[in-house]
Amino acid sequence: MVHMVVQIPGSPDACPDWAMIELQGDLQSRQDNSLHSKFIGDLHFTKKGVPVLIIGHHILYGKIVTLEKPFVVMSKNINTKANDSMETDQEMDMQKPKGIDYLVKAIVKKKLVFKTRPKPIIANVPRKI
Amino acid sequence: MDNEAIRLMEVDEDVLAHLKTGDRLTIRGEKAESAVLCTTSQTFDIKEAETSNSLLMVPTCIFPDSLEDGEDKIIYRQVCAVLHDYLELKPCKPRLRKLRHLLEENTYCGKAYEGDEGHRGSKYTFPDLCQLVQASDAEIQHAINALPVCDIDGYVRLLDFDYLQRVLFSIADLVTENSWSLDSVPLNICLEELHELYPKDVIKRVLEFYGNRQNKVPKGKMNTGPSGDNGDGAIYKLDEDKVCRFFAEVFLRPTEKFNFKEFLQTWQDSVPEGMNTSLHQIEGLALVDRSSKPEVVKFFPVEDMPEEIGDRFDHLFRAREKWTLEDIRPYIIDLTTDKTGVSALLTKYARASLQNGIKVYNSRKPLS
Repeated sequence: MVHMVVQIPGSPDACPDWAMIELQGDLQSRQDNSLHSKFIGDLHFTKKGVPVLIIGHHILYGKIVTLEKPFVVMSKNINTKANDSMETDQEMDMQKPKGIDYLVKAIVKKKLVFKTRPKPIIANVPRKI
Repeated sequence: MDNEAIRLMEVDEDVLAHLKTGDRLTIRGEKAESAVLCTTSQTFDIKEAETSNSLLMVPTCIFPDSLEDGEDKIIYRQVCAVLHDYLELKPCKPRLRKLRHLLEENTYCGKAYEGDEGHRGSKYTFPDLCQLVQASDAEIQHAINALPVCDIDGYVRLLDFDYLQRVLFSIADLVTENSWSLDSVPLNICLEELHELYPKDVIKRVLEFYGNRQNKVPKGKMNTGPSGDNGDGAIYKLDEDKVCRFFAEVFLRPTEKFNFKEFLQTWQDSVPEGMNTSLHQIEGLALVDRSSKPEVVKFFPVEDMPEEIGDRFDHLFRAREKWTLEDIRPYIIDLTTDKTGVSALLTKYARASLQNGIKVYNSRKPLS
């Protein structure tokens, strides 16, 4: 029987707000499969607050959406009360909250949604040659 | 960037509020597929939702309201994960059938039997039950309060039916012997007279369960025993409906079918003087078959029926092909929620038709 505890560690007021960007489709790197440490793109906001995302040579227009139901971001806590018997790593025990299996790291209340088709940015071609 | 370490979960304002007050949520389940999430008072089904969209998680704020207008700044933000799925929560009914099964593993039949063969099963404390039942602590407590359960040596014990019968009959006998009114049964005298037969906690619990505690001592009544301030001076009014229902069960349990007319007479004769039996008291406990000659009544308790809605309806339709609303109502009312009432359930899981001018319900599918 599974019994896991989900909780905000530490002071619940101090739980940070994260942001989320929703894109249709997948991000791909030109060189290899990993996106790790790779630059994704530039995010701008127009004077009217419209988010604009430039990825590669594509430009996407989006909007800020407040989520009807907020999300919480959970991460698995590896040092729970089950590991109490390992007394050697005292320091680690003190940092990681005991008895919690999933730590709520953040709350997401708003997202940037980019649902329009990406438009390619073409360099200025002169009309007359 | 680590996509494995992070999980997104959609929550409603209620659940978020719970988290923000520092409360813990628990995920309880037998296997991953049937896991539920519980706050202190509510239970939710957990479902995994997948999306073809990419969800980029950014650990800091990137919205324009946090920036000053006109500023030309380049701020670096890192995307720490790209996700394609999240957990959805849907409020659901607590899964309490298991609670009963656990408590039935070792029912209490009295001190004398505690060590014997029939009582080697597991005993559970309240925290034990909270670990094993897929429901919030508050819902489990509520369910326990609705059962003839007693705390014995720290364990939550279901009182065995025959044992309960003896305790209740003893109390009923005292009422007759002392000519007490059914409205004022004094706890302290019950304890005094019966404590050698049954533990005090059991006597008290039975009175609490089958009666209602009264606040005032009625005028003109002599309190012959000591009326201490330890709560033992309490007076109880026996609950007619609950007591009569119990007596009905005493007759129905051991027999498969009972002649309805005879049952009604026997039942009324058996209940404490001054109480009146009535058919509504056995709703959800017994079923009357008016189509047979003579009419019969049989033991048909809702507590023993499947918890899952589809299974419940199958069970009911196997027992009887066609049901009137009046007859089926007590057997599906525990399945209703705020959003889904009896009519909605019947519309979804049954087929209505007219028989002799009366609306009846039968199964939507052929049953073996």
